[in-house]
Amino acid sequence: MTKRKMFLRMITASLLRRRSRMLIALLSIAVGATILSGLVTIYYDVPRQMGAQFRSYGANMILLPEGNSTLTMDTLDTALKTIPEENVVGATPYRYVRLDMPSRQQSFTSAGTDFSQVQKTSPYFSVDGEYPEKTRQVLVGKEIADTIGVKVGSSMELSYKNTAVSSQEASGDWVPGASLTGSAEGFNEAVLTVNVTLDENAAIESIEIDASSQTENIGALVGTDPVYLKQFIGKTLPLDGEDIDALAGATISSQAVVDAVNTARSTENAVARENTERFEVTGILSTGGEEESYIYMALEDLQKLTGEEILDVAELSVSAGAEELEEYSNSITGAGLGISSRLVKRVTKSEASVLGKLQALVFLVTVVVLLLTMICVSTTMMAVVSERRREIGLRKALGASDGSIRKEFLGEGMFLGGLGGLLGAVLGFVFAQVVSINVFGSSINFQPLLLPVTVIVSMAIAAVSCQLPIKRAVAIDPAIVLKGE
Amino acid sequence: MALLELKNISKIYGELKALDNVSIKVEKGEWVAIMGPSGSGKSTMMNIIGCMDKPSMGEVLLDGVDISKESQKKLTDIRRDKIGLIFQQFHMVTYLTAVENVMVSQYYHSMPDEEEALEALGRVGLRERAKHLPSQLSGGEQQRVCVARALINHPELILADEPTGNLDEANENIVLDLFRQLHNEGTTLIVVTHDPEVAEAAQRTIVLEHGRVAREVINENFGK
Repeated sequence: MTKRKMFLRMITASLLRRRSRMLIALLSIAVGATILSGLVTIYYDVPRQMGAQFRSYGANMILLPEGNSTLTMDTLDTALKTIPEENVVGATPYRYVRLDMPSRQQSFTSAGTDFSQVQKTSPYFSVDGEYPEKTRQVLVGKEIADTIGVKVGSSMELSYKNTAVSSQEASGDWVPGASLTGSAEGFNEAVLTVNVTLDENAAIESIEIDASSQTENIGALVGTDPVYLKQFIGKTLPLDGEDIDALAGATISSQAVVDAVNTARSTENAVARENTERFEVTGILSTGGEEESYIYMALEDLQKLTGEEILDVAELSVSAGAEELEEYSNSITGAGLGISSRLVKRVTKSEASVLGKLQALVFLVTVVVLLLTMICVSTTMMAVVSERRREIGLRKALGASDGSIRKEFLGEGMFLGGLGGLLGAVLGFVFAQVVSINVFGSSINFQPLLLPVTVIVSMAIAAVSCQLPIKRAVAIDPAIVLKGE
Repeated sequence: MALLELKNISKIYGELKALDNVSIKVEKGEWVAIMGPSGSGKSTMMNIIGCMDKPSMGEVLLDGVDISKESQKKLTDIRRDKIGLIFQQFHMVTYLTAVENVMVSQYYHSMPDEEEALEALGRVGLRERAKHLPSQLSGGEQQRVCVARALINHPELILADEPTGNLDEANENIVLDLFRQLHNEGTTLIVVTHDPEVAEAAQRTIVLEHGRVAREVINENFGK
């Protein structure tokens, strides 16, 4: 038998046959290693975990068309390819258009979007009812719902009028004898319309104003007040602000009339498209913000109404650290897609700062736990040494050198460290998993590298903790084994 | 040449002279008993002979070499190579089996050899108890394991401290018989005891009193 074999035999015998004391040392190392590997796992997983948490504050990246280029679903998809797929929590397209509600003669800003993505990028949206799932369903902002009195299950008709039909300027229609129609938003964004006929000199011959959408007896009077109406006759287009005196008390409606006249087009060119659809209200949206004054519908529905496929903006929720985000943002802007990317700083900044603090805290706790483990192991080994004074004395009497004694205790300590580390690495993962599920509500990935690291660190800690007890052991006088001691 | 010679050694602890100018000689192959009441300096002398302590004054010649001024480390080497120790309280490593306890001595000395260790146990009649832990052995059996451990490295000197102090008469006789065998094989034995019967088994008894050699008695009945 070699000396090494005998050495291992002695150490394992000591550990296996003197279980109770060694179990305490093993347990303290295992607990330390558990906390160590658990916290390290959490330490490295926190950015991912917290990233997901922070994503509940909404989008942290905004994509906008750059200059004259347009943003479409295609360019958005291309842009998204520059970000690793698993980091994209959600990407929501938005197209904002004003739609009329003919039954109430009102118009509202409507947003076409992708509801499955909305729930990811704006998790704070609170919907009374359901998100639309089919076509021709809408989600109505609470403010609008209160104003027009719609409820979940109500239906509403929305129509889209395309006024800018011709690329030609309105002035092209100002020809003698022309008959023009125009409209503009007046008081409270309500639309009034005008019909104008021009004489042989292309001056206004007659004017009819439908201002029934304006306030009764105030703005609505622009359509009936003879003195006001008379001012238009004989004027040439375009009207200048000084040409027409506003009706007292109805300046907004008066200005709208002027705007409507100036943008009026000949009948054959005007209102080339007017699409109307009936929608079912599936939910009422409350956010406490401006979203409450919008009507949301599926992007496809809105595209069908408008006949256009462009987007105004895309909101992205990306799970990544501040630096990575900056990188993604720059690569999207620089990709030549005609898209410019902006980060929502108030979200990304606070994320980075909270993460930093959290990691510092975890680091601190880890260090403290390691120190406590060392104290515990050291104390236990100290007790072991004093319990085994006679045995150590005997070994020395039998000829053990100080080096052998040191080696044997270090061997036992490191064996315990290794075993405790192994146990701790496994328990630590379980611990991290439990913490993760309870605190962050999501599971954690096992880091294979953490196993050897925990074992090695535990062995090193055990070795350091054994130094003082070993010093004690080496100092024991072999004469202790003789009688009288 | 004498195997062991103490030349005018004294051991002084403050005011107390544990050993006071003691000189003794032990020849190679001799069996010597050291007797004396408590406080007579037996333990101190045992420590010095066992290389676990150094005299305050005087020389200790082991195999003709003065070891009284050697370092602790050197003394450990000498003890390991030349001396086999047997104790009153046996002192076995509690978590190792009988044969492993014998092998511990081999381990520190040179190379553990289980076969040789088993043979040594066979010599003390415990071969079939080799795999037992100390707690499973009787006192007499434990002391026999310790005898096997003491002789496993073929020491020049076996130093026994009250080897039968904790044994009944039957086991005392077994141990003394083992000593006789060792003596017959030429091993030098020094047995510290206060038991006259054990002392009488030796060739010569040195009696200590108050740190001095009070008298030496040659056992005329030795070998009879």
